[in-house]
Parts: sequence; C-alpha cells; structure tokens
Amino acid sequence: MAEAPKPDSTTILASDCSFKGEMSFEGSMRIDGRFEGKIGSKGRLAVGKGAHLTADVTVGQANIDGNLKGNIVAAERVELTSSAVVAADLRAPKLVVAEGATFVGNVHVGPDALKGAEKSEFVVPMAATPIKK
Amino acid sequence: MGKLPDKRLVRCPRCETPLEVSRNAKSTLCPGCHQNVRTEDDAVDTYCARREFFTEGEVTVGKKGVLIAEVRVVRLVVQGEVKGTVQARESVVVAKTGRVYGDIRTPVLSVEAGAQVTGRCEFGPGLAQLRAPEPAVDAGVSAA
Ligand SMILES: [Zn+2]
Repeated sequence: MAEAPKPDSTTILASDCSFKGEMSFEGSMRIDGRFEGKIGSKGRLAVGKGAHLTADVTVGQANIDGNLKGNIVAAERVELTSSAVVAADLRAPKLVVAEGATFVGNVHVGPDALKGAEKSEFVVPMAATPIKK
Repeated sequence: MGKLPDKRLVRCPRCETPLEVSRNAKSTLCPGCHQNVRTEDDAVDTYCARREFFTEGEVTVGKKGVLIAEVRVVRLVVQGEVKGTVQARESVVVAKTGRVYGDIRTPVLSVEAGAQVTGRCEFGPGLAQLRAPEPAVDAGVSAA
C-alpha cells in the first residue's frame, strides 16, 4: 500500500526496511524500520514505535517512540515518549521525557549541555584521535 | 464508621526490610537494621545539605530549595536543585525549573522541557528488557 507523500517532505525508512551505514538528511526523517550506523542532520529525526536503531545520532531534534542504542546529541531537543526504550548517552539543551519511557545511560541536559560536548569528556578517547599539529 | 486498616507497606531504605506502618506515622524503627526510618512526606524549600535524605514518602524540592544529599524516597518532585544520587521507588518528576546533578534511578521519570539533568539515568518499565542479553541487532539487517 503506497502512502500518500507527506506535505512536509519527510523521508521515511519504512518498517519493513533495514539500513546499515551513514545517513544524512535535510528537513525531517522518520525511521520505522531497522537502522545501524550514523545519522547526522540539522533537522528532525523521528524514531517510530517499532523501530530499532543502533546508532550515533547527531541531529537538531529527535523524537523517540521506539528503540535506540548508541548516542544522541541534539542541538535543540530530545523527546522520549512513553513507548521509548533507549540505551544511550544523551546530550541536548532540552529533554522531555514522558511517563513510561525507559532509558539507561548518561544524560547531560541543560543550556550548557553542548558546550561540554566540545571537550574531551563525551568524544572519542584520546588514543583514538589522530594527532594533528 | 468502620475501622479501616489505615496501614501501608514501606521498605527500609537501608536494608529493604518490609515495614508496615500506619498511614500517618512520621517514622518507625526498622527491626532489620535497628535504625530509625522516616516515613513522612517532606518539602525542601531552603538550602539543605546532609549525607542522607531518606524518607519513605513523597518529597518536593521547591523552586528555592537546594537539596545536597544522597536521596532515597518514594516519589520526588524537583522544582529547585538536587545534587546527589537519587533513588525513588515510584517516580521522579523534574519540573521545568528543576535541576538534578547526579544519578537517577526510578521506574518512572518525567522531565519537562527546560529542566537540567546531568548524570547517569536509569528509568522505565522496560529496564529488564534493556539489561537482558538482546537478540543480535544484525538479525534481519542486511547492508543496503
Ligand atoms: Zn533497615
């Protein structure tokens, strides 16, 4: 059954799809299927209820109804709804958690949350970073 | 009027011994560890720093409240600031003015937009699911 294209041009990874690799998008993206890899965008990511992600996510906004394992960095905000099941390190200026959401991981939420991200604490260990002079 | 058994069951925050207390009791003695267990609700509206802040009740940290302690309660509402490890048997609510610096463990966490939370968090009904060894994520995933 073909879905009518949404007016706001959301890219959709449907529930019967799986994707492995790196992905970037403009605007907004919705994942209902399986995803493994990296997601980078300034836009809005929605993770649907049945979705399974193992991912490093760097986006503007993330709205999570499904399952996610990995890291989340959002420039604006992260929303975990009541069906979200997340094991991740999370960094964002704003976080909204609905009653019933499940989460395990480190949280850094507040106006200064992203400043810290530029420091070493959250990023790759020193040994893994190539030394540039 | 019939006499309702106005009791409730709580647990000692130190040794987890189940304790039956009357609903309006302010504290009880734990037969397990022989220590006093607070069972009353409480509000923190000023600066309050202590090693432990344990009570088997609901605690509200008001907008002007600063609670620096290891916190073990049944329900916690944070409108002000909490620094320390937080364990709540039922729920933690961080209001939009709330700030929590410390680890949080509770079955139900609500965070309002604007709140600040820094620390390790574990919450939600699906925790068991997350801790259980997962079926490999690769199952069904093939390179696109
Ligand atoms: Zn005890």
